[in-house]
Amino acid sequence: MNWWRTLSRQETTNSRVVAVLALTILTLLVTIFLPPVADSELAGGAAIAIVILGLSWLTGWSGQISLGNSGFMAVGAYAAGIWAHHHASTPLIFTLVLALVAGGLSGLVIAIPSTRLRGPYLAGMTLAFSAAVTPLAQNFTSVTGGEGGIFLNSLVTPKWFEHLFHGANASINANAQWTADLAVVVAGVMFFFMANLFHSRAGRSMRLVRDNDVAAELMGVHLARTRTMAFVVSAAFAGVGGALYSLLEASVRPETFPLTLSITLLTLMVLGGIGTLSGAVIGGIIFSFSANLVAHVNSLTGVNPTSNLGANMQGIIFGVLLIVTMIFAPRGIVSLSSPLRRLWRARRPLSVTQEVQ
Amino acid sequence: MGDTDTRAVTLAFDHVSVRFGGLLALNDVTFNVLEHQIVGLIGPNGAGKTTAFNVACGFQKPTSGTISFPKLGRGRLRPPQLAGAGVARTLQGVGLFSHMSVLENVMAGAQSRPGGGTWRAIAGLPSGVRQERLLRAEALEHLERLGIAPFAAALPSGIPYGVAKKVSIARALMERPSLLMLDEPASGLDESELEVFTHLIIELRESMSVLLVEHNMDFVMQLVDHLVVLNFGQVIAQGSPKDISTNPDVLAAYLGIDE
Repeated sequence: MNWWRTLSRQETTNSRVVAVLALTILTLLVTIFLPPVADSELAGGAAIAIVILGLSWLTGWSGQISLGNSGFMAVGAYAAGIWAHHHASTPLIFTLVLALVAGGLSGLVIAIPSTRLRGPYLAGMTLAFSAAVTPLAQNFTSVTGGEGGIFLNSLVTPKWFEHLFHGANASINANAQWTADLAVVVAGVMFFFMANLFHSRAGRSMRLVRDNDVAAELMGVHLARTRTMAFVVSAAFAGVGGALYSLLEASVRPETFPLTLSITLLTLMVLGGIGTLSGAVIGGIIFSFSANLVAHVNSLTGVNPTSNLGANMQGIIFGVLLIVTMIFAPRGIVSLSSPLRRLWRARRPLSVTQEVQ
Repeated sequence: MGDTDTRAVTLAFDHVSVRFGGLLALNDVTFNVLEHQIVGLIGPNGAGKTTAFNVACGFQKPTSGTISFPKLGRGRLRPPQLAGAGVARTLQGVGLFSHMSVLENVMAGAQSRPGGGTWRAIAGLPSGVRQERLLRAEALEHLERLGIAPFAAALPSGIPYGVAKKVSIARALMERPSLLMLDEPASGLDESELEVFTHLIIELRESMSVLLVEHNMDFVMQLVDHLVVLNFGQVIAQGSPKDISTNPDVLAAYLGIDE
């Protein structure tokens, strides 16, 4: 009865809590040792990781593609920004829940027509959405602040936290680390929710529809409803990520959410590994480092950062990274860990899979 | 057909016709599947067997006539409603989910049960986890019953065809059906596997009705209680296997003898 025990031990909530908690605590520890600039880059990466995770769910689990997630980010960011601008004392959690709901609703609006579309047509439809969001934000000046956007108060460091820091720039260092820690905790919570969703019955519905829609329907899965739900969740995650990103920057501006961001998100998702939690983490890490990387490459190659070439260096670097990853690890950087895992597994008694093969 | 059987009717075809453009795929088809009865739907290629299945499952709308599930208290059902109403169907070939383990494939049969508990599951509450664990245990029981438990963690691409067929039946059983519809269960199986399947299906009759489409006549004849023979979309005969095997119309259709 060995296989019985092996299987029932798999995928418990405990293991998910432990994994997400361990990673969150590890990252929190890392923020202690990082300089303030790196801390705020890491915070941005954590926000983007949430968005990538939502996209990864949509693509990896429900088999749909979206070029609209920068648009969903913008919806979440503006919802949070407009609210926080008028109600500055609202707790962060409330603002983020608002962004979650706003993002999810925008996802619902896009999903209803989208569930009739497949592949490139769906991508085109979502592309149109994200292309439309920025001009909308630029034009409804009285609500969105137009080109200039909305300026927000920076996130306040609590006093007890500030007291932990001493010496020159203590309050700047404290604030950088506090915001980074906040972002990491929010990301940790969202990753925990997604980890649970992955292994829930709803998560299974997604994979059934993706793998074999006729059989899925025979299992009682409602195809359109399931595909819509996938979009709503993905957009809600994008909403939270977008709002968090803007709150960290203390402003909501249209140019934060260009169409190209959607493509960057897709690239990061593919680089990390589609449909996995760790893939989204890797995507977020790459995003954190990307500004630095671009600056380094520009200075190494002597390209003027303000020139046409320099301004597009990020796209070039991501493009090269993507090609290299596709050649050496077609299932994303996360798949590089499987040789390690195999080594680990070899020390343990035979698992079910191995018995069968 | 002097049917004096008092058992409840699980599935009723009542003068069902289906027209695809100029082709009459089903022509005035009437038959019943009673509870605890195994009904076989046979006929040459193109006789309309698969169309009959698709109409019963709501993939295809009848041009005229009605489909109903009197015992389940339901009229015509659309595909996503089937599982919830107690109708399970296997697909021609196997129709498993290729990126999911055998165990997860079987668990998929429980998708339509009420109380999905999505919110509880997202929050990671113990009750949601417990529910998943119960499903897992139930799916394993089905696999054990069919003798394929050692394959639980394998992917469908890595298992023998006969095992895959059993997995699709285990998945259908997970739906706790009142009516099990099997689309060519015997195809691609060897003699010993056929024997296992015959026993299995006869055993299932205790708790459900079975409607099957099949080409393998030997398999059908020793298995079913009632046969419906289709040719060119029409029911040319129905009755017990013994009656059918001597029916001149059926012999003509199968052997091509002109009257």
